[in-house]
Amino acid sequence: MMKEGVIIKTISIKRQGERKHFQIRLPKDTKFIIGVEYGGRLISRTEGAIEAPAPKAKADAKLVEVIYSAIESGAVRDDKPKAFFKRNQLIGELKLQSCEEANWFYAADVFGNDANLNWGDFSQTGFPVNDFTHGNKRTEEVVKVDAESTIINGWYLDALGKSQKLDINYEIKVYVWINVEE
Amino acid sequence: MLKATKKRFDIKILVANSTVSETFELEKNIVKVHGVLVTSDKDDLLYYRGTQKIEINKEEFFPDNYESKLLMSGINVAPKQRYYDLGGVAPGNGRVQISYKDLDDGRTMFTPYRVSLYLDCEMEDEL
Repeated sequence: MMKEGVIIKTISIKRQGERKHFQIRLPKDTKFIIGVEYGGRLISRTEGAIEAPAPKAKADAKLVEVIYSAIESGAVRDDKPKAFFKRNQLIGELKLQSCEEANWFYAADVFGNDANLNWGDFSQTGFPVNDFTHGNKRTEEVVKVDAESTIINGWYLDALGKSQKLDINYEIKVYVWINVEE
Repeated sequence: MLKATKKRFDIKILVANSTVSETFELEKNIVKVHGVLVTSDKDDLLYYRGTQKIEINKEEFFPDNYESKLLMSGINVAPKQRYYDLGGVAPGNGRVQISYKDLDDGRTMFTPYRVSLYLDCEMEDEL
């Protein structure tokens, strides 16, 4: 009988533009890699990042957010001159390769929170829109890769520190979902 | 007859960067656990700071360091789809263990909060 399991790999980033090569070891009885997802945590605050003023309802949680000028963001505009869509903060690039096959089987741009989530709220009730209140249910990205060699090679490149020209200490967690034979 | 039921178990996080482990027991007439969901009275702290391990009947479904945000659903998700699907596992001895770890995140300031673990279960009707 096949059973699902998840392997977690934490990648720690400390310097701007840091590139990390890593390996993820899978259990020997792994048959397939069936999905990949990621998450992250900011470990230290940065001096240069601009803090957006916290909305009233979340005064205890100041979110660090980069404010783009309209010119450099290349933002999409609607009819109203002040209404800009904000670009999501790119955190880095993540790529995974199985020893079984050539080329990457997973490549993703790692993004922070959805910066435009509030554009979907037309209720105007004053209930602030955030990922933790209005976010969708997270699901893994489905892949199907043989896992006989039980090792995945991974590569991560920082973009957050590079874009802000700062050393930002954070960690990225990579979740590899596997099928295991019982 | 089988009927659906939801169970809620709470833990309190009183100290920053601490781990809180608790074991809860399901009723004997629960025959399947279909889904799991975590919420909090301070959603942002759970979302940014929380990781947890969850075991049912000593079987690990989510390992250490599995982020809580991956088991949360916002109000934009339809109520019937909010639970993470476990596929109907047998509860065995009925013991559910959660080991929750709070970790500093540069975007939040700690204040004591509650973490609620919800289970979507199927139980035998006692009638």
